[in-house]
Amino acid sequence: MTSFNDTRHLWALGAFLAAVGLVGMVVRRELVPDDFGRQGPYRASALADVAARPSLFQADATCHACHASVEHERAGKPHEAVRCAHCHGHAVEHVAMARKAAEDSSIAVPPAAEWDGDFLTKIDLYVTKDRATCLSCHQAVVGMPADFKKIDVAVHLEEQGASEPLAKDTCFECHGGHDTAP
Amino acid sequence: MSFFDLPIVTSGPAVSGACASGGCATGGCASGGCSTARPDLKSETSRRDFLKTATTLTLGAMSLTLLPGAMAGDDAVPPASKPSGFPSHAKKPMYGFLIDTTKCTGAGKCLTACRVENGVPEGQARTWVERYVHFKDGRVEVDLVPEIGYAASGEPQPAAEDVLRAYFVPKLCNQCVDAPCNQVCPVHASIKSPEGIELVDTDRCIGCGYCVQACPYGIRYMNHETNVADKCNWCYHRVMRNEQPACVEACPTGARVFGRIDDPDSEISKRLATLPTSVLKQHLGTLPLTRYVGLTDEVT
Repeated sequence: MTSFNDTRHLWALGAFLAAVGLVGMVVRRELVPDDFGRQGPYRASALADVAARPSLFQADATCHACHASVEHERAGKPHEAVRCAHCHGHAVEHVAMARKAAEDSSIAVPPAAEWDGDFLTKIDLYVTKDRATCLSCHQAVVGMPADFKKIDVAVHLEEQGASEPLAKDTCFECHGGHDTAP
Repeated sequence: MSFFDLPIVTSGPAVSGACASGGCATGGCASGGCSTARPDLKSETSRRDFLKTATTLTLGAMSLTLLPGAMAGDDAVPPASKPSGFPSHAKKPMYGFLIDTTKCTGAGKCLTACRVENGVPEGQARTWVERYVHFKDGRVEVDLVPEIGYAASGEPQPAAEDVLRAYFVPKLCNQCVDAPCNQVCPVHASIKSPEGIELVDTDRCIGCGYCVQACPYGIRYMNHETNVADKCNWCYHRVMRNEQPACVEACPTGARVFGRIDDPDSEISKRLATLPTSVLKQHLGTLPLTRYVGLTDEVT
């Protein structure tokens, strides 16, 4: 008996390998996202997912669209560069509400709250006339650039003869918030 | 008969007469026992055929699982539009980030802006500001700017007369062209966007934390609310809408500048053209896109 004629094993082997290949294809189809590799070695739609996040931090232009008087008040003044959000909160809800109100006059935009004194406050929109807000930038600290307007608050208030140095609105006896000229 | 019974040249009756036809000058025949007949040609051919067939089938079946084309099927994208390799980035805008340490006042407004914009949990940060204080006695101390500002934090401050020089260094993702964090991701959840911005695919990320360890700048962290990797992505969602990143928008002193470096009229291009800039940890060869003005050797 010299010839090899038992091809049944070959068929069995072939069927087995084909089954492995098929299972591999099915598993791969399940695990690999459809758009994987379209643009690079990643899920292409992930770019759109990341880009879909809403922009929350408001640029000043958003505020100025309604509060144009403040824009004029600050124009050319040192505080032109300070963002509205730094002293008045991030106003995410306020802006969303104001945009709705612009279309539907029956919606009333609630007024700004008083600041609760917490820099990480959850209050959306607030009014601050508080020395702490001013000092968060202007209190002299080692490391500030030489040309930045910084004060040693105790010295400055004594020099200027502040009536109540520790009062919340002591800075506003002389300075404005938007137009800071004394 | 199974194929294990295939005849071999030394197996007696099967090889009888092989030498007679002159085909057995070498090999088994020379050692004797094969003087009467040569091996059955038909059986030799069968073995070769078997090996050929088996190899073809095996490789063919294996290759089915490897071909991406086999998986894509004929879905929405026609074959012609599928890229054959990685895309060319040439036509996409190129962005850059410039940090001017001589302008930063350490107010920490960028930190809150980033947290609000990106929903970063408290206690973690995508960006932070370091302060380097060089004392007159040669010491150098580094501390972090509190998010609420130094004045409100009440931290004891070094006396100005002891200090030789001090400056603030904001840190954020360097968006390395050759990013180590991207290379180590085992599930392709690290994405280098066509604009060159490194992103995290939070749906794919399994939270293994390799990228957190791989980043030489410590930018990546495990977000303890989502339990996946998180990082500064230059506010990709804002950039895609032609807005500035939140920290840039928030900075009152212009210490953070963001813009297109392929546009010679952009502010960042003009400042890069006139200021001497450097990058962090240049020796690592990661090619950061975030450039700094006024770095000293102490800053890493």
